[in-house]
Amino acid sequence: MLPDTAQPASSAVPRSGGAHDELRRLESGLDALQTVPLTEKGPWRRILDGVLPPVLLVVALVVAWQFYTVIAQPRPDLAPGPLNVAGSLAELWNAGRLQEAVLTSLARGGAGFLIAVAIGTPLGLLLAEWRLLRRALGPLLSGLQVLPSVAWVPAAIIWFGLTDATVYFVVLMGAVPSIANGLVSGIDQVPPQLRRVGTVLGASRIELATLVVLPAALPGYLSGLKQGWAFSWRSLMAAEIIAMGGSIGFGLGSMLQQSRELADLSAVLATILVILAVGILVELTAFAPLERRLLRRRGLTPGARR
Amino acid sequence: MQTSTEAPPAPETLPPGVKPAIRIDSLGKRFGPTGPVVLDNINLTVAPGEFLCLLGASGCGKSTLLNIIAGLEHPSEGTVTVTSGSAAVMFQESALFPWLTAGRNVELALKLRGVPRSGRRAQALELLDLVNLADAAHKRPHELSGGMRQRVALARALAQDRKVLLMDEPFAALDAITRDLLHEELERVWRETGRTIIFVTHNVREAARLGQRVVLMSSRPGRISNEWRIDDTGPRRIESPEVSRLAIEITDQLREEIRRNAA
Repeated sequence: MLPDTAQPASSAVPRSGGAHDELRRLESGLDALQTVPLTEKGPWRRILDGVLPPVLLVVALVVAWQFYTVIAQPRPDLAPGPLNVAGSLAELWNAGRLQEAVLTSLARGGAGFLIAVAIGTPLGLLLAEWRLLRRALGPLLSGLQVLPSVAWVPAAIIWFGLTDATVYFVVLMGAVPSIANGLVSGIDQVPPQLRRVGTVLGASRIELATLVVLPAALPGYLSGLKQGWAFSWRSLMAAEIIAMGGSIGFGLGSMLQQSRELADLSAVLATILVILAVGILVELTAFAPLERRLLRRRGLTPGARR
Repeated sequence: MQTSTEAPPAPETLPPGVKPAIRIDSLGKRFGPTGPVVLDNINLTVAPGEFLCLLGASGCGKSTLLNIIAGLEHPSEGTVTVTSGSAAVMFQESALFPWLTAGRNVELALKLRGVPRSGRRAQALELLDLVNLADAAHKRPHELSGGMRQRVALARALAQDRKVLLMDEPFAALDAITRDLLHEELERVWRETGRTIIFVTHNVREAARLGQRVVLMSSRPGRISNEWRIDDTGPRRIESPEVSRLAIEITDQLREEIRRNAA
């Protein structure tokens, strides 16, 4: 905010006359009137506002669940209570299988996601800039986005056998279309005015792409990445559940499937909760801060709007 | 201040030896081979350092004409010559890059002009100071008011360092108080930098307030229907009687043009 008496220290161009000073003061006054200071919440307040409601809800659900098992006394093998599930979780942890499964799945999901980014990004760029390719490949890619990637598992097993290649193939078929489409729609939504300004400012084709179009398309690209991660994680679980054994490592999906074979419902529920928790954790620690920062810098978050 | 009316407008006569800043010869524009004629036989010469206002009702093709001068669109016939090579442009929406601060927006223009990195920051601050915004260099566009954004856009346009500045209704979306101040600011910048300015507007008073010459365009097809010269006797105010008198005269003509489009 400019206090209306402030005179910039870097007054480089010498100027004459009181008329100009008058105008400066007028402008500074109007600027001060027209800008409202942004009131941003402190980090503690934000955490409190963002974390407290969901945590309270989860606690309430768990308490209700526990009450149900205590009052209705259902068969523990068909409806285990929260304590049974926690017990299974502790058991899996003590056996070291939980850690192994989480690490294996996260490593595979992360690697698959990164490969998908490496393929999907140039693909999206090509689609956005090359009309003919887009007309030809665009509908197919959108179709692939709708096709559940689990449908690829049987084919992948026949092609690659029970190896990690099967898992990665399924993950890529799930994530690449999302990432490419996200980038394409991000680029499509770049206001034409910004491109015109770039052209007027004398940007070459390359400069226009790197300095104007890509930064402008970043929010769309980021939401494509988010969706890409979600698809990676889902496809990975599907692949791990169906394709077990061989040289495929022991992931969360494998653990789920194994618990089902043992008819151990509380271990199944425990694994589902872990899969859910990992998904939420990645979203909260990787994507949410990135997105919040990106949007806040552009004045697109509700909290920072003038 | 005196006004002179010439109809139809005669080609501009410049003092001998002075090359025009912009020269437009029998320019025509239609969109597509069978589309309606948007611009028809436009002839216009703009002197170096002149402040020319291009006035007309909606659909008269004034923005199209500006885009053609800017090189963003191509004429269907005729030629446009910008003597200094190319022109800087400022649009109605500030069109600042929202991911860059005000200072970086100006710096990007300097970068694309080829100014070496070391000099960019200081030069950007200097340009922002010219529009009284040096203190806002670190702010992002969404933190600025509409008027401030347009001033940053003006600084960015000046950063291109072109002799010709084309402005497409740059103040149309601002409130009256801000617009009034920006008129003063623009006039001051014009006097200080000696730019040739073509200012497109549909606001008669704005044209009468700012221009040394006001060119009125008729609609469908867009033709130049009249022009007024205003002797430059220093800064004038939008409320002054001379501006009002001229505005009334131009408005009468403008209404005449619009009436002709009635069924």
